Amino acid sequence: MIHCQALRWGAPGQPLTPDVDFELAKGSLTAVIGANGSGKSSLLKVIAGLQKPLMGKVILDVPRKGSLSFLPQQQHLDRQFPISLQELVAAGFWGSTQSPETRRQRLKAVLENWCLSGLEQRPLMALSGGELQRALLARLSLADAPLLLLDEPHAALDELGQALLWKHIHAWHAEGRTQLIVCHDLAAVRQHIPQTLLIKSTGCVLGSSVDLIHQQPHTRVA
Amino acid sequence: MLAAAHLWQPFHEFVFMRRALLGGLVLACSTAPLGVFLILRRMSLIGDAVAHGILPGAALGFWFAGLSLPALTVGGLGAGLGMAGLAAWITRRTGLREDASLAAIYPISLACGVLILGIAGKRLDLLHLLFGSALAVDGPTLTGMVWVSALSLIAMAFIYKPLLLDTLDPLFLQTVSRLGPLAHGVFLTLVVLNLVIGFQAIGALMVVGLMMLPAAASRFWSRRLPVLIAIAALLGCLSVWLGLLLSFYYSLPSGPAIVLVAGGLYLLSVVFGPVHGLLRRPPLLTSQ
Repeated sequence: MIHCQALRWGAPGQPLTPDVDFELAKGSLTAVIGANGSGKSSLLKVIAGLQKPLMGKVILDVPRKGSLSFLPQQQHLDRQFPISLQELVAAGFWGSTQSPETRRQRLKAVLENWCLSGLEQRPLMALSGGELQRALLARLSLADAPLLLLDEPHAALDELGQALLWKHIHAWHAEGRTQLIVCHDLAAVRQHIPQTLLIKSTGCVLGSSVDLIHQQPHTRVA
Repeated sequence: MLAAAHLWQPFHEFVFMRRALLGGLVLACSTAPLGVFLILRRMSLIGDAVAHGILPGAALGFWFAGLSLPALTVGGLGAGLGMAGLAAWITRRTGLREDASLAAIYPISLACGVLILGIAGKRLDLLHLLFGSALAVDGPTLTGMVWVSALSLIAMAFIYKPLLLDTLDPLFLQTVSRLGPLAHGVFLTLVVLNLVIGFQAIGALMVVGLMMLPAAASRFWSRRLPVLIAIAALLGCLSVWLGLLLSFYYSLPSGPAIVLVAGGLYLLSVVFGPVHGLLRRPPLLTSQ
């Protein structure tokens, strides 16, 4: 699904790692871990096509537009923007050809799944960080993309929200979607995500989460 | 009854008042969505920069062709787009903040415009270019305004959704569509087009006021984007109508009269607006 060949990324003149090659299979569920500033978020942006790599290339088995969903960290949103939660979530229908009736039902179901029922008309400003995060995740679920890139999806979520998110991640995994998830909670990664990509300034290691995280107990604080 | 008649009688009686009113109303409607989006995109200053940028182009047009509508329009359009484009290009290439880049461009344009007018030797009134006179709207100018206004409204309807997403969440739009930069480009072109057609009627600086003041005021009345745009258009139309009446009955210059009415409506909104206005409890921001 994702083939990275001699990939180098980061700020011009300051690559974050030596050239790396790795492949992520279709339907795989992979965590991305590493210290702050190791380049996890930029790697996701490079794969999403939002940032140009310095060298090498990323080849996806699907076209980038429409078959990829990217969940960025949420602080880039303008909370004063005059739009309601429902309108934000419904943007996930972009490019969809479903009938208005189907859309209405799907929107309702998705809002229910993410425990957002009753908040439809709330303006962005009146949402808590966790509610906004769940709204962004709901928008992502509507898009039905086969490839999901999630940058710290657990940020701002309380315990219930996190449980809800893991439930969805497992469901998406069962549906055969490919997922790449930046996550700082190593214990959760070890428990929920089979495969891990560890980014270090000396290179990247791709392996089983249980092995990688067991070997690196000190990165738990990262 | 007599007082009510005063509100429409001048427009009934005089063709130039009717033209000014119609031109102002269509302009207020088409600049409303542009102003609202400019504020949401944090580009409120671009109106000012473009309005000043129009000046050297219009001055050149005047130098070569005299006081002709097409020459002034083409000159203004070229210079306005050029200035907006130059500022955007500097920002993109060097990372200089957009407001700084715009603030740097507009004194340059203003100075160029004044200099060209000086060299041209003829006396094209600078005040007229900047502040205009709505009462000088002639037939061709009015036709131009109606066309530009219709074109902007139709184009805005087409780019509304991508422009909204590009403003709120450009990263999201980039992953689902390539329309973001196109919507941005069309939007900027519409801003320049409206400023150019407006500057001949109510003056370059005045049309910026008509674009930004109702848009800024509308923010205090609603939290929904379509409603914001409708309110901005309404406040703009009200300003044009009341401003023209003021200018008619008290022999005031029409451009400043319109903008001052819009300014009054803005201040009223700041104080009394239900959405985070000063009189609202609890206020959004308090000095703790």
